[in-house]
Amino acid sequence: VEHKPPSSLGALWLHATVLGIVLLAEAIGIGRLQLGFGTVIFLPILYAFALGIAVNPHIFKNMARVIPSSAVKLSGVMITITIMPFIAKFGTTVGPQIEKIIAAGPALILQEIGNLGTIALAFPVAVFLLRMGRESIGATYSIDREPNLALIAERYGLNSPEGAGAMGVYATGTLIGTFIFALMPPLVHALGIFDFRALAMSCGVGSGSMLAACTGGLVAILPDEKDLILALAAASNILTYATGLYVSLFVALPLTEWLYRKARPHDPANHRHQKNQEART
Amino acid sequence: MNASNATPNQADAQLPFANEDERKVPVAGHSALLLIACAIALIGNWVATGTHPIAALPGMVVLYVLCVLGLLLARYMPFYLPRIAWASLLAIVVTLPGVPGSSWITQQVGALDFLAMATPALAYGGLALTQTEFAIARRSGWKIIVVAICVMFGTFIGSVIIADLALRASGQ
Repeated sequence: VEHKPPSSLGALWLHATVLGIVLLAEAIGIGRLQLGFGTVIFLPILYAFALGIAVNPHIFKNMARVIPSSAVKLSGVMITITIMPFIAKFGTTVGPQIEKIIAAGPALILQEIGNLGTIALAFPVAVFLLRMGRESIGATYSIDREPNLALIAERYGLNSPEGAGAMGVYATGTLIGTFIFALMPPLVHALGIFDFRALAMSCGVGSGSMLAACTGGLVAILPDEKDLILALAAASNILTYATGLYVSLFVALPLTEWLYRKARPHDPANHRHQKNQEART
Repeated sequence: MNASNATPNQADAQLPFANEDERKVPVAGHSALLLIACAIALIGNWVATGTHPIAALPGMVVLYVLCVLGLLLARYMPFYLPRIAWASLLAIVVTLPGVPGSSWITQQVGALDFLAMATPALAYGGLALTQTEFAIARRSGWKIIVVAICVMFGTFIGSVIIADLALRASGQ
């Protein structure tokens, strides 16, 4: 017999579960795995995410006996709430380092263009290597977090091929993005080519959890540079919040659309989309 | 730039961006939820750093106030900025050297570990997943997973290369 508590009791269950997960994750602490060429960093945020999935009654039906399904309803809202103190804490690291931030200003602004690296790397892979269709446009024009997904939904609808591509990258990013972003910076740093400040200011990609993972990984290998790493990452993340959507709208999406038409001029779906646009205007 | 203009789709309702309009959220209700979030983060910080919650409390109160102001500004300002953008801007301003109280604030929030502040959000994140995300990933197939990894690596390495060149060019 499934027990269905009233919503306030469900909410209490949810917060208590999260508290338990947080305590366990923090008690395990940061883990390091030394590989030949670099260090793989395991962060408490990764354990917390994995534990959250492990006890999620929507994913594992047996868990509904422990945590009622009604309890997890509030968790979507709670993500957007709990990320706020984290982002505010990040902001407070900028003020004390403001002179170094201003000194790095040109690099900080220019690296925002680097977010078009999604197209430079992933578009050829999708179109030429994997022979994907117009899914490639939605999948590669941006990192496909919530604002980018909303833009694709508005332009093409989520039922379109472009929408399917964007949703696929969104879902994959949600599931493994934290892991990927904890993994990359220490390994790229191990190449010995790049200034750590360049790595730090590349952590602001417009997703709170990816930002946390990326800076967490960097700070774990460069603890002495913690203050500057946090400040640069915070500054770049704020820039991405401010500019990301406009770059997506006016540069990235038109560029990807144009590239696709050049790469696949005979795709009949190009024509379909063009007609839709004409009909709308 | 609003998801509500999009073609109606069953998937929309289950994805986070469609959940709420920040201009319509109840500030009081969210401020109460924010209290719970801060309490959990404070205890997590205790385990992560060994700093007693009482010692870290002033810093957490500062973050709480910044967040509530962020909620209010996102709700009532005549032009729209996301609340996390408002909270970030305020956090920068109150820690700038020369701003009254900035050194006290910097010292107090220093008792809070930045990663410990993110842990509760990821725990809620794991619990917020539904079958939808897994179903989308499965339906999209392995190709989209390869592309997604290229997308994540691409945005990071693209920024790293440009930032590194810019730092070198300016002789830093």
